[in-house]
Amino acid sequence: MNRRVLFATLIAGMAAIGLPAADDARTIVAESQRRTNATSQRYEGVLQVFDGKGKIADKRWTFDRLGSHGNSKAILRFTAPAEVKGVALLVVSHPDRASDQWMWTPAIERDRRIALQDRSTRFFGTDFSFEDLEERDVDQYDYVLQGEEQVEGVVCWRIQSTPKQTKTSQYTRSLVWIRKETYALARIESFTRDKAVRRLTYSNIANIQGIWTAQQLEMADLVRGSRTRLTLDKLQYNVPMKDEDFTLLALRRK
Amino acid sequence: MIRVGAIVACVAAFATAPNASAQTISQRGFLEGALWLFPARAPADSTRVMGDGLIREEAFYKPTGWLQFAGGFELRGNTHDQVDRRRRLDFADRGTQRPLLSVRRASVTFTHGPLTIDAGKQFIRWGKTDIVTPTDRFAPRDFLNVVDAEFIAVTGIRGALQLGENTIEAVWTPRFTPSRIPLLHQRWTVLPANTGIVPLVDAGAVFPTGSQTGVRVSHVGQTLEYAVAFFNGFNHQPAIAATPRAFPPAIALTRIYPAIRMLGADAAMPTRWFTLKAETAYVRSSSPLADDYLLYVVQIERQRGEWLFLGGYAGEVVTRARAPATFAPDRGLSRSFVARASYTIDPNRSVVFETAVRQNGKGVYAKAEYSQARGAHWRVTAAMRVIAGDADDFLGQYRRNSHGTVTLRYSF
Repeated sequence: MNRRVLFATLIAGMAAIGLPAADDARTIVAESQRRTNATSQRYEGVLQVFDGKGKIADKRWTFDRLGSHGNSKAILRFTAPAEVKGVALLVVSHPDRASDQWMWTPAIERDRRIALQDRSTRFFGTDFSFEDLEERDVDQYDYVLQGEEQVEGVVCWRIQSTPKQTKTSQYTRSLVWIRKETYALARIESFTRDKAVRRLTYSNIANIQGIWTAQQLEMADLVRGSRTRLTLDKLQYNVPMKDEDFTLLALRRK
Repeated sequence: MIRVGAIVACVAAFATAPNASAQTISQRGFLEGALWLFPARAPADSTRVMGDGLIREEAFYKPTGWLQFAGGFELRGNTHDQVDRRRRLDFADRGTQRPLLSVRRASVTFTHGPLTIDAGKQFIRWGKTDIVTPTDRFAPRDFLNVVDAEFIAVTGIRGALQLGENTIEAVWTPRFTPSRIPLLHQRWTVLPANTGIVPLVDAGAVFPTGSQTGVRVSHVGQTLEYAVAFFNGFNHQPAIAATPRAFPPAIALTRIYPAIRMLGADAAMPTRWFTLKAETAYVRSSSPLADDYLLYVVQIERQRGEWLFLGGYAGEVVTRARAPATFAPDRGLSRSFVARASYTIDPNRSVVFETAVRQNGKGVYAKAEYSQARGAHWRVTAAMRVIAGDADDFLGQYRRNSHGTVTLRYSF
C-alpha cells in the first residue's frame, strides 16, 4: 500500500513539474507533437540555398496545411523565382504509413505522383528531400531516450527515432533533440545506415498563437556540404481552410 | 447620381467583404529568344539559321474562393515565316502559321465543394505516360518544328467531380482546334522524291463543324492510379488529301480532320524499384482517310539521387488500314524504344539526354541539353538534336534536320 502511495506521489510530482513519466521517449515526442497540434497552418516560405562557396539560389513558396501531423494535407506553391511560379506539391500525410505526394508542373499542365522510392530526391535543388517535406507522426517511429544535451545553449532531450516497418523512409534512423522547456524541436540529424546525411536545425523559436514555433529551419546536406535555410514568414495557425482545397483538382488551380 | 452612389457603395461593400481577403492575383511570363542552326541543307528549304522570339504573359485572378479567371497572351516573331505577321488578335489558333498576337488562354473556373467547372480557352491533358500519350485527345500541338511541339489550348467546358479517390471528368468543346503541322515548303515537310515534277500547293483545311465530347473516370489509390477514357470527336492531327489540278498543273493538298472515337485507359503503379506506367487507346473512324488502330505505351520511371530515368516502348497495332497520307507524330513515334535521363547538377544547372530508336532500326533521334539559370530571371539552354535513318521512316525522313539550338529566356 505504501509503495502504491509512493509511486502515485512520484507520478503526480513529475506531472506537476512538467516531466513525462519516467522520461519515456515516446511520451516526450507525443507531448511535443500534441503541443503543435493546430487545425491548420499557413506561411510564406523564403528558401535560400547555399553551397560551400555561398548563396546560389533563392526560392519562395506559400504553404497551406489542413490538420496536423499524420492527419494532414498540405499544398506548397512556388511564387519565385519567376520560372518556377505555379509549381505546386500536394502532400497527404497518414498516421500509419508514408505520405502520398503529387507535383503539379504548369509548363506541361500535368500532375505527377512522387513515388515512394523517389522521396530521397532533393526537392527542386534544395537540401530538403521530398520525404523531409512530409509531416512526422509520433506513431510512425520507435524511440529510445539517449539522455540530455545542450543545443545552442538550451537543454534538450536527445532521442533516437527509428522508422517502423510500415513507414518507408530513406533514413535508417534519426536523432531528435527536443527542448525541455518548451517541447519544441531543436534539431534532427538523419542517418543512412551509420552515416549522418542530413541535419535540420530549428531556430528563432517564438510563441505564435500558443504554439512554440521555429521560424527558421536550416537543412544541411552533410554529404554534399550544402545547406538550405527556410524562413517562415507571415505564419498563422488555425486559419479557416476547406478540405476540397487539398485535392488533385485543387492542385491544378493557380 | 443615386445610381452611381449605389454602385460605388456596392463595390466598396464587395471590396471590404470578409472574402475580400481571399482575393489573389498572380502572373507569370517570359521573354524568349531562340537560335536554330541546321548544319545540313534540306531539299526544299535552304535556310540553315532561324531565329524565333516569344513573349508570353499569363495572369490569374481569384476574386473569391469559388471563382477564378485566367488569361494569357503570346506575341511571336520568327525569321523563317513561321509567324503570320498580320496585326490582329487571334483566338482560334487555326492558321498554318503561328499568330503574331494570340490569346493563349482565357477561362473562368467555378468551384463548389467537390465540383470544378472550367469554361473557356484552356489546356486539357489526359493520360499518364510521357513518351507518347495515346489518350490525350484534347491536346493539339504546334508541330511546325516537329521535335519541339508545344501544346495549344482548346475552347470548351470541362467539369470535374471528385468523389473520394475517384474523379469523373466530362469535356465538351464546341469548336475544333487542330494541331499545327509543318509548313509545306519548309524542312520539316519532307516530300517524296517523285513529287518534283508537279508542284504541290497548300489547299488549306476542311475543319469539322461538330463539337467534341469526352469522359474520363479516374481512381487514385494507395498502390495504383488508373483511368478509363472515352472520346468522340475529331483527330487533331490531319489526314492529307491530294487532289490533282489541271490548270495550272499541281497537286492540291488539303488537311482533313477525320471523325474518330477513342476508348482508352491509363495506369500508374509505383513498385519498390520503379514506377510502372502504361497507357493505351483504341481509335476507330468511319472516314476513308483514317485508320483504325491501337496505340499503347509501357514505360518505367525511376529517380535516383539527382537522376531521373525514364524508358519504355510505344507500340501500335493497325486493325484497319485506310489512310493514304497522314501527319501523325504520335503514331510515327510508335514501334519505338524511348529513353530519357535528366540530371540536376545544382539548383541552377541541369542536363537532359533523350533518345528514340525505331524497332526496325530505320530511325534514330537523340538529344542532349544543358540548361543554366543566372540570377532570379535568366536562363540559357543549349541543345543538340541528331536525327538519322531511312527516308521512308517517320524519324528517318528528318535525317537532314539534325540541329543545335540556343535559347535565352527572361522570366518575370
